[in-house]
Amino acid sequence: MEMTKQAIESNYYRKLNRDTGLIIGMLALLVGVEGFVLYRILLETWAISGNFFYLYGIFAGLIIVIESIGCLSVRKSIQNHMFEFRYYD
Amino acid sequence: MSEHQSASLVKTLRPFHVWALGVGIVLVGEYMGWNFTAAKGGILGSLLAMLVAGTMYVMISLCASELGSATKLAGGPYDWARLFIGPGAAAIVGLAVYMEYIALEAADAIVVAVIAQSIFPELQVFPVTLLVIALLTFINYRGVVAALTLNFVLTMIAFIAIVAFFFATASGTVDIHPEYLFQGALPNGMIGLFAALQFGPWFYLGIEGAAMCAEECKHPSRAVPLGQQAGMITLLIGAAMTLYLCSVLIPADLLGVSVYPLFEAAQNSKISIFIAALGLGTFLTCIASANGCVCDSSRSWFALSRDKYVSSWFSAVHPRYNTPYRAVIFTMPVAIGFAFSGFLDQVITFSIISGLLCYVLIPFSLIRFRRLFPETTSKVRPFVGPLQPYIAYFAIAISIIILSTLFWGYKYNLIFAFVFYGIAYFYFSHRHSSSTAENNWAEIGWPLPKGSENTGIEKEVIGVGND
Repeated sequence: MEMTKQAIESNYYRKLNRDTGLIIGMLALLVGVEGFVLYRILLETWAISGNFFYLYGIFAGLIIVIESIGCLSVRKSIQNHMFEFRYYD
Repeated sequence: MSEHQSASLVKTLRPFHVWALGVGIVLVGEYMGWNFTAAKGGILGSLLAMLVAGTMYVMISLCASELGSATKLAGGPYDWARLFIGPGAAAIVGLAVYMEYIALEAADAIVVAVIAQSIFPELQVFPVTLLVIALLTFINYRGVVAALTLNFVLTMIAFIAIVAFFFATASGTVDIHPEYLFQGALPNGMIGLFAALQFGPWFYLGIEGAAMCAEECKHPSRAVPLGQQAGMITLLIGAAMTLYLCSVLIPADLLGVSVYPLFEAAQNSKISIFIAALGLGTFLTCIASANGCVCDSSRSWFALSRDKYVSSWFSAVHPRYNTPYRAVIFTMPVAIGFAFSGFLDQVITFSIISGLLCYVLIPFSLIRFRRLFPETTSKVRPFVGPLQPYIAYFAIAISIIILSTLFWGYKYNLIFAFVFYGIAYFYFSHRHSSSTAENNWAEIGWPLPKGSENTGIEKEVIGVGND
């Protein structure tokens, strides 16, 4: 019985880590792609965009920061409730 | 109660279905439509519109994740407004969501028919449009799992096509024209930056609909936040990739008027595999979007019907397929009517205004939800969104700013929408203020809301799914 419980817990944490890995991978891709696109476009248009480049920095920063915190909250929520609601059965 | 009405929606959906519903509806906006930002504000206007709208949608998707995982109802934004604001706001949101998705379905079906005709010139647009609408209605009638699994496959192919094209371009496999970026940077000056905002939502329009399958999810408190946030990140990645690809492969003046910008960018790359992949992606993403729209619009109509905002005849659930089949079938004549009304462009603009109205009311529902139910328990709030209510207020502010930019060029559409929804608000507020139905929060295991004796929330809560 004890082994079964341990096996279930192990299975749950493995699947939680899979969810976490997926989100971290997508967030990393998002940061890389947004950074690359912003850099290339602002670099080529710097003569014009240099006057208001901070607008792009502010909103890109907001997207990355809020989405990252949101994803951390999703992970925390899944971790808190995964046994209670039996997410991975 | 008949057998049909006593059946309930089947609870089988998983996070990837939520992702498929949200991204499937929206990805078409990255294949076409977003590029009108370039016509207004050039490449820099497009970039700013993408980032500002992206910020708004990130915040709205977090609000939707919290509300969807808490209420677990098929009506999504409509049910949130009904529970936490009132019947007038609920009617506005319910109708707005319905109009938003049904108009998009009609437009998608026509584009599919036009693409099919360009490949096979002997085909006629009208019968193919009818066929597409009928086929997708039938798939949704048969079952939500099959419909959303199909959406997952179609959407994944379309997304992978963008990713592959982007990495090939970024790695130097495709010859690009960086000079296009400077040439089309800001053709209309600083005012163009502001004007471009009105088309920014095209990158993400409809992602809030992902939460509308919460009642059919196996574990909504996991599936909705996880699927919706994964979907939001997918769209942010897709938007940035799309903007870059089109900006360096299509001159800005042509980009602003292109019908299929990603496909045109692939054609300009002169690499046949990408031309085929992006052409296929354009076709598939239109089907996926129309399919998701049938799903979401029918759920919105079903929820309106269940609460007697429209005829309760539509609230029947199929005893075998567990789908709201009458609401699903009813999408067909309405979509066909929109498609061949001759005013589709006006209808689409109306749907964008409807969407933006929802983006004011969804965060407001979240603010009200937090005020009415401040306690955080597994039952009431299994997913606690971060930085609330500050990001809800910020999302409302951005929505109103984008809505105000529609005054340039779409003044009469805006006035018509406000009159239409104003009438709906007062009519349904009056009609449901005399309702004798009482709150039944206990039925869903929730405590009474804070200050419930004078909140004025008088609607009954029915048919709520549990984890």
